[in-house]
Amino acid sequence: MSYVDAGYAIALATLFVYAVTLVLRRRRWERALQMSEPGVEPEGAPAHGEAS
Amino acid sequence: MSALTVARRPRWLTVVGVLGVVALGFTVWLGLWITPPDRFQGNLARLLYIHPAIATVALYWVGLVAAGGSLLYLWPRTRSFFWDRLAAASVEVGAVFAALTLVTGALWGRPVWGVWWTWDARLTSTALLLLLEIGYLALRRVPAEPAIRARRCAVAALLIAIDIPIVHFSVDWWNTLHQGGTFIDPGFQIHASPSMSWTFLLGFIAFSLIFVWLLGVRYQVEVLQDAVGDQELEVSLSERWSEDTDLVGASASTPAPTTGGAAP
Repeated sequence: MSYVDAGYAIALATLFVYAVTLVLRRRRWERALQMSEPGVEPEGAPAHGEAS
Repeated sequence: MSALTVARRPRWLTVVGVLGVVALGFTVWLGLWITPPDRFQGNLARLLYIHPAIATVALYWVGLVAAGGSLLYLWPRTRSFFWDRLAAASVEVGAVFAALTLVTGALWGRPVWGVWWTWDARLTSTALLLLLEIGYLALRRVPAEPAIRARRCAVAALLIAIDIPIVHFSVDWWNTLHQGGTFIDPGFQIHASPSMSWTFLLGFIAFSLIFVWLLGVRYQVEVLQDAVGDQELEVSLSERWSEDTDLVGASASTPAPTTGGAAP
């Protein structure tokens, strides 16, 4: 692999990985906010009045 | 307005992201396969379609947003957490671009200069920029009241901003290995063939669009993070409040112990 190919590969791969990480972080915090809002049950949790 | 509404993905941000990816795709295609090799540097000149563009984002766009946002936060009339979050988002994205500037520069410097790294003024001041940005991100993680954290970080961002003119003028102030303007001279005369110039320009546009998209998403993460923190604080305070109320209620309903009562 030449220096040119390595430069392009590193730049594009780093930006791609960082972008994916940001999107995943955004999704995780959106879920955390939804779960922390009062009256919102986490997914899979028993409904009110349901025996655990 | 809830944080989920604030952090909703605006359509313009998606459009910017798509345009950025398309522009970047064209830059790579033109840069690697279409443009001719340089008369002096051969194929190594192809790295110059991405390295100066990445450095421009790392230095000028990040500097503008981080310093501007921090100044607007510190100015009492414009004080808003919007500016603090925007500055914080730009510094994190800036650290990624600063690291890429150093790596792509080293990959070009090794075959052209013969070294991966040298303590040249431009390289050293750029490395200092990266270190200052990492320091800013560490400072942001120190637990503190939101207003105190924002003020601290605004001051830190202004310290980062001091390094930006040093990086820019380093090639003029010191006799450095790093060259000055290559494609465009101070008189705005372009010294490259049209295909090279257009690819160079497209690279600037592509990385700038990518920066705006990353900044937008990182800003949304910042808003959501703060909102979750506020929500958790509210929940723990209300739990504490209800515990206190229960204790007061329980002590009020319990009969007071009497002295000299019957032995059990």
